[in-house]
Amino acid sequence: MKPKRTIHQVFAIAKTDFLGIVRNKTAIFFTLLFPLFFLIIIGFTFGTQGTGETSRIRVGTVNLDGNKIYVNGTVSQDSTIGNVFVQVLKDANFTVYEYGVYGDKDSNGTAAYDISRGQIKIAVVIPANFTEALSYQYTDSSGIPIPTKARLDLYTDPSDPTGSIIAQQSMFGFISEFIKNYQEFAIDQLPEDLQDYARVLADPITISPSEADVSGRQLRWIDYMVPSTLGLVLLWSGLNHASVAIATERTKGTFQRMVIAPVSPITVLAGKLVSSLAIVYLSAVIMLASGLLLFQVNLYWNIPAIVLAVFLGALSAIGIGLIISSLSKNEEAANSIAVLISVPLQFFIGAFFPLDIMPEPAQIFGEALPFTKLVNAMQGIMTKNLPFEAVMPEIIYMTTSGLILFALGLIAYQLSLKRL
Amino acid sequence: MNLNDVEVNSITKRFEDNVAVDNVSMSVARGELFGLLGPNGAGKSTLTKMLSGMINPTSGTIKVGGYNIQDNSMKVKELLGVVPQDIVLYDYMNARENLAFFGRLYGLSGGKLRNRIEELLKFTQLDEKAVKRHISTYSGGMKRRVNIAAALLHEPQVMLLDEPTAGLDPGNRLALWEIIRTLHKEEKTIMLTTHMMDEAEELSDRVAIMDEGKIIALGSPRQLIRKVKMENTITVVPDKITSKLIEAVQKISGVKRSYRVYDENEKIETLKIITERAEDILPNVVSAIFAVGTRIISVELSRVTLEDVFILLTGRSLREEEEQL
Repeated sequence: MKPKRTIHQVFAIAKTDFLGIVRNKTAIFFTLLFPLFFLIIIGFTFGTQGTGETSRIRVGTVNLDGNKIYVNGTVSQDSTIGNVFVQVLKDANFTVYEYGVYGDKDSNGTAAYDISRGQIKIAVVIPANFTEALSYQYTDSSGIPIPTKARLDLYTDPSDPTGSIIAQQSMFGFISEFIKNYQEFAIDQLPEDLQDYARVLADPITISPSEADVSGRQLRWIDYMVPSTLGLVLLWSGLNHASVAIATERTKGTFQRMVIAPVSPITVLAGKLVSSLAIVYLSAVIMLASGLLLFQVNLYWNIPAIVLAVFLGALSAIGIGLIISSLSKNEEAANSIAVLISVPLQFFIGAFFPLDIMPEPAQIFGEALPFTKLVNAMQGIMTKNLPFEAVMPEIIYMTTSGLILFALGLIAYQLSLKRL
Repeated sequence: MNLNDVEVNSITKRFEDNVAVDNVSMSVARGELFGLLGPNGAGKSTLTKMLSGMINPTSGTIKVGGYNIQDNSMKVKELLGVVPQDIVLYDYMNARENLAFFGRLYGLSGGKLRNRIEELLKFTQLDEKAVKRHISTYSGGMKRRVNIAAALLHEPQVMLLDEPTAGLDPGNRLALWEIIRTLHKEEKTIMLTTHMMDEAEELSDRVAIMDEGKIIALGSPRQLIRKVKMENTITVVPDKITSKLIEAVQKISGVKRSYRVYDENEKIETLKIITERAEDILPNVVSAIFAVGTRIISVELSRVTLEDVFILLTGRSLREEEEQL
């Protein structure tokens, strides 16, 4: 075997394979741009939502504060803090719709009706005693404040778990900040000797912020999404392309023509590996560049770590693709199997939805996938600026699964040579 | 010195219980154009695949250019130029790009590769406009020509042509025959697999007929036709038929019998001459007719073809085989 000739052969095969993608519009879309399609759709839908921006969250308020209630035996209709709450919500750039009643899904003009039709993402019902509870108006006979909780009811659409989580998290953060500020203000209004006592009692609404901002940056949904799309790249560009790479050549007869030339089957495989990796990296660059250009993502760019992690993840994707490509009867069968595998898998790798919101068996399955490990590693490195050592468990997992799956792919490829 | 470029010794190929090639032996001399004939399923493709090194025989040996294919597969592959039956080219590339790709597989590069591609584009008569278009836009004949050119890039000594004219119209078929004849003149050793009897008869120096995995007849087309000892008919339309003429014809060596027939439809008298060697005796027949002072209006020769030989040997025609499949 002449090394120089073998290198020429490998690159000739890789170049031809690569041209097959870039000169075929359908292949360009499904192999290179399909993950981008998802990124754009989801990015523009949820992308700018997060801790920094709230304007796209449509909130319905049902302000009952000011309704007649009895406090310490006398009628009270104080609506001060309820009104302030709604005003601050608007000032915080939420898109606010005000309703008189929560209602039900069949009563037009109510908050429940609009949730059921997707007009608003979340409804906040402000209770009648909101001002009275937060301003310590409930007292005993001696005038000492009695701890009284004001309960804010939040309603979201259970058929839209992702949108609900985003809206809920945003509202939790907002309410927490609001209560903290206004409680301090209310306590300041109390006689000085009761202020310390009131602080001990203070537990008006038990809502805590959903997530700590560990990166030190203000991140949006899209900032988490873009690193995750590298997992989609492995499925769509790596697994799908590798699945048809050999099967297509075999169906067209070009594989047979290659092996009757003085080219070893391993050289053909090496050419396919090079082209598959080139396609994965090209797709990854397109995704990351699109994230930067379209959404101005705010990420950390540890390029060597990204390149290595993508390579290790690609080994698994190409290994699976090689198994499919070698065992499939023809190109069409390989393509169908690849789609059948990659389409469902993309929902289990944490690219679209956090695995935490899935049922436990789905979480276990998702966590076992090497593509999920890539998503986790990329989120750690690119959003939290974690050092490479911090994602070592993911790297080790991807290396192991990559080597195993690629070895299985090699065995399947060797078996397929007997079917020429 | 080894005069045979291809030597096949007792080759058998089994696929589980099915014996695709059954103890076949044959050889092809350097510069010879050897036709391998047979219906679909006869074992031709399996034999070709073994010769090209794509699959290994179950038993037996194959030597190409003196090298045992099992021991020196890479060396043998360099000596071989294989033209597959199907058009095996990349649709999304043009002719030049396709040839460059296959050339690189054979270790060609740089100026040598470029020059060879230009030579072959000239040889296959593809014009510059066509060369720049993707293969998907080519006619069947153009694709076939590029398909052959791809196998010639590395200047192989031995060529395996598997149904090279399949699916072509008569014009393109004749054009491709010319290319094959040119290769033959260049002293290439050519093994032509075909199920078209006229193609094998027209082009081959020798022919092997395969059926059910075995070679059932081997020889030059003329030898095979003679071997079956079938009768041919020479039909002559002279200006007049006399008993002197019939007597003169009857005396020609090789003529079994001759007689006059009146064709009711054409309203003419014809002379029928029955022989086993129509082509051989035709000049003598013509001379004898002129010698008795008779003019010839037309001569028709119905001769035995390889198709007839095949029917005689197997009891069925190749066309029937195709129709059944």
